[in-house]
Amino acid sequence: MHLDIQKSLESVLVERAQLNQIAEAALSVARLLMETGAPAKIVHEECRRVVRGLGAQHVDLRSGYASLDITIDKGGIDFTRMMEVGPLGVNYRLAHAVRALVTQIAEGELTSAEAISELTRLEKGTARHPPWMVAVATGIACAAFGRLLGMDWAAFIPVLASGSVGQRVRQLLLRHGVNAFVVAGFIAFLASGLGALGSRLAGSTTVALAMIASVLLLVPGVPALDAQYDILEGHPTLGTARGVVVSMTVIFMATGVLISGALLGVLR
Amino acid sequence: MTVNLLHLIHQALFGAVAASGFAILFNFGWRDIPWCAASGALALATRTLGQDAGWNLEAASFVAAAVVGCAARFVRAHLGIGGNHLAAAGCIPMVPGALAAQGIVGLYALTALTPINPLASLVTAMESMLRVLFTMAAIGTGLAITTLNLRSLSKTSLPVVERPEPPQLTLKG
Repeated sequence: MHLDIQKSLESVLVERAQLNQIAEAALSVARLLMETGAPAKIVHEECRRVVRGLGAQHVDLRSGYASLDITIDKGGIDFTRMMEVGPLGVNYRLAHAVRALVTQIAEGELTSAEAISELTRLEKGTARHPPWMVAVATGIACAAFGRLLGMDWAAFIPVLASGSVGQRVRQLLLRHGVNAFVVAGFIAFLASGLGALGSRLAGSTTVALAMIASVLLLVPGVPALDAQYDILEGHPTLGTARGVVVSMTVIFMATGVLISGALLGVLR
Repeated sequence: MTVNLLHLIHQALFGAVAASGFAILFNFGWRDIPWCAASGALALATRTLGQDAGWNLEAASFVAAAVVGCAARFVRAHLGIGGNHLAAAGCIPMVPGALAAQGIVGLYALTALTPINPLASLVTAMESMLRVLFTMAAIGTGLAITTLNLRSLSKTSLPVVERPEPPQLTLKG
């Protein structure tokens, strides 16, 4: 009788070790999708596909702003695990690669250990544009935004330059772990100040618009859209959290613009 | 309805440039960036046409987002590019960030010791904030409606898996 109980306990332990790996693979997929800007519905769908592809029958996922919890079930044995989520950003190529991997997992082509190792490889190895190129592209986008808002041509190059400088400094500050809201406020102050000075020197008559256009790189457009998706698709807790972060970012951004505008005498 | 063709081209062109710039920031691959540019151009062209027809910003943004959402789903079906990401990249140039900043700066102006014409400042600031709120809601709803409807049309339902009963531990011997 003792032998049977021991065998039964051993098989439960083996099952739980397998479930732990399945949960880790599913949570890693969910975490990477959250961190690359996917809305909650996509995160939940892909997580479910991973769990089923790896052989478990039932999955419950709870997605919070900073953590994820999962409970999976295989052969009547439940397993629950939690994982922290890092800063939420946008990274299309990584999100696309993760979703392509999920399709492979769902088709049963990978074991859970292989899936975890492949996810780690994707996270470290997915290509990114060089930082200088991202900074210049962002500056160009800000200048184009300015034109859409009615900014004159004289302010185009100053806004392009201030937006590029703002983006480069933002990358450096975030890499050094500075609080994201403080970064938003400081970059708004810096970029709007540079934009105002530059466009004034260039003879622009739309200095106030140039200031605003210089900081549009900080507007959290994708998180704002994700917040709405989440609320519309039945995840109001995560959607509300995203909305609060978006609002705080815009408040810090406006504060930075206000301070530089007051110092330069542009905004009264 | 009178369409200023030069203005329409200007808006579409700078919508494309803004969307491409943000596509690089969002780490889209080079193969996808022209599609992001097209998405931005389509969004701004549709919104400008709507505004030229006399619609307000919110209505024009809603229709533009819905059109971009449909186009992105079509491109996804044919090219395999992520529809949601492409639509979001195209709609980013329509996000009223400037209005939001103006609204908050206007509210700050009210906190001065002696605000100049406080009632008019309050009305202007609140108008900006409300327009931000409604425009964001219009863009989000326009994108979500197309995404949800087209997804539900094309989706094959997943098999329903019954939750198994907990195991019964039996002692033998």
